[in-house]
Amino acid sequence: MSLKVEFVSLVFGDGDEQVKALDNVSMDLQPGQLMAVLGPSGAGKSSLLAVCGGLQTPTSGKIWIGDTDITGASKSALTRIRQQQIGFVFQQSNLLSSLTAIDQLLLLIHMRGKRPEKADRERATKLLDEVGMSHRLNRRPSELSGGERQRVGIARAFMTNPTLLLVDEPTSMLDQNRGKQIVELLVRECHEYNVATLMVTHDQGILQTADRVVDISDGNLIERT
Amino acid sequence: MFIATRDLTFAQGRFLMMGSVVALVAFLVITLSGLSAGLVKANISGLMALPATHIAFEGTDHPGYRNTMVERYMWEGWAGQEGVLHAEPLGHTVFNARTVDGKPLEIALWGIGPGSVIDPVVTEGEGLGGIENGVVITRDLLDDSLKIGDTIFLDRVLTELKVVGILHESRNIGHLPVIFAPLRKWQEATYGPPGGPPPGEKLPDIVFDFVSVVLLQLEEGVDIAALDEENETTTFDRLGFFAASTGYKSEVQSVQMIQSLLFVISAVVIGAFFSIWTIQRTKEIGLIKALGASNAYVLKDALGQAILIIVLGTLAGLAGMFWFYTAVKDTELPFMLQSSTITNSIIMLLVAGTFGAVMSIRRITQVDPIIALGRDR
Repeated sequence: MSLKVEFVSLVFGDGDEQVKALDNVSMDLQPGQLMAVLGPSGAGKSSLLAVCGGLQTPTSGKIWIGDTDITGASKSALTRIRQQQIGFVFQQSNLLSSLTAIDQLLLLIHMRGKRPEKADRERATKLLDEVGMSHRLNRRPSELSGGERQRVGIARAFMTNPTLLLVDEPTSMLDQNRGKQIVELLVRECHEYNVATLMVTHDQGILQTADRVVDISDGNLIERT
Repeated sequence: MFIATRDLTFAQGRFLMMGSVVALVAFLVITLSGLSAGLVKANISGLMALPATHIAFEGTDHPGYRNTMVERYMWEGWAGQEGVLHAEPLGHTVFNARTVDGKPLEIALWGIGPGSVIDPVVTEGEGLGGIENGVVITRDLLDDSLKIGDTIFLDRVLTELKVVGILHESRNIGHLPVIFAPLRKWQEATYGPPGGPPPGEKLPDIVFDFVSVVLLQLEEGVDIAALDEENETTTFDRLGFFAASTGYKSEVQSVQMIQSLLFVISAVVIGAFFSIWTIQRTKEIGLIKALGASNAYVLKDALGQAILIIVLGTLAGLAGMFWFYTAVKDTELPFMLQSSTITNSIIMLLVAGTFGAVMSIRRITQVDPIIALGRDR
């Protein structure tokens, strides 16, 4: 099991102003499975990503990534878990403005306290090639289109061989055509590298490509059969 | 410094601007330190050049150069002691004077024994002792168009001095230029009747039994307190006899306050810059943390970048100071280029700047990586 979420709730505020972003949610993901989470704004999609990614501590419940219970982990432990086991693809690609495409990936190696070596460079080049960016290795984000930036973001997410990939509305900033290409790319890479993927999206077009689809509403998950 | 070095290359304009600010602050700090040191030196350059470990004043509570009178038995008392390498009498009086053209001067007349250890080595002309009223002037008086052979008239005491030698260096005390005179001539001018003794008469010997201070060269281990008590003197070391110069203490305190304020300003200015820069990078910092960077990693990267800018900016400021020195060294502007002053200023600036940067960069630890999801909690 790559991801296991057990009776997780996330509550903000108290008393009359209490907001339940997640309400007793349970789910699991196997390696190589892509689960799409659909729902309107404010339904709890980002909260689900945040708790699964160790960016937010749930109010109750437990979360495992691989064999690791991340629920009660310290901040430094969560940092390590994100570094080693989780890949993120963000809504706005979120690339560092001063790094070239290849450096965006090599940064993840450097963060681990390692100087990027030839093997790391080769892996980064291969990943960028797989996402169709081999001709843009030394370009910075300002020199890339929105779709190109998102491709680099996807390659970056796979750089560290993550156990879990968390994808936050990857096509929201892209036109339909480019969005379709990105989704197809994600699906291909997730199956290629056998990575459990949780994708939050508004995009109904994902339904054909995802292995599983859940709807989220008012913090509750309902899986479609 | 993976991100830091790439940042510097990518945003050269921004970092050049930040570096320029650091350079300007460094230029200000180092140059003002040199000007301050020059100002202080202008007060006491004459004292700084004296080959003395100590100076003995009249044995009062707060002796100064203008209110001290030492008798012969006191300086001879010092001279005969073990561990006292030299004990030379020195006279100090401030006079208003005039050149032959009537140009007014205010000078400090120093009476010293010709051929003694404090007799200055002239750069031009002759030393003391050739003629009874021959004097050696210093560089600052050359601006008053004085030259060898000129006569200087001391007002009030109606004494004529003849310029026989020039020392092409600054020698000041209390911001007044020093003129070196033979000790007897100084004693006549200071203690004798105006214009000298009546014709046919000599000055009484007692006139020549007084000086202002005793210049001492002492070996380590001399019991100064005991010798002071024995000879009825008050003796100061070098810092002490500098401080005895009028206005020196208050000038040094003012200068130190200016320098302290400058360092505080440096820390604040540099800190403010890095604060703004860190705030601008908040989203990127959140992203880096979301990707798995520890606080230590991000801090190290940011601090490394800040220190690099501070060091390069400081070096640029130092280069600016050298340019400034080249421009002013032959002018009247008091500026002292001393390696210790520069080194201390640089070290303090680096410390102040780094402190300012650290105080602003530490907010990095408070950035929540959740902002990478584009939502603040």
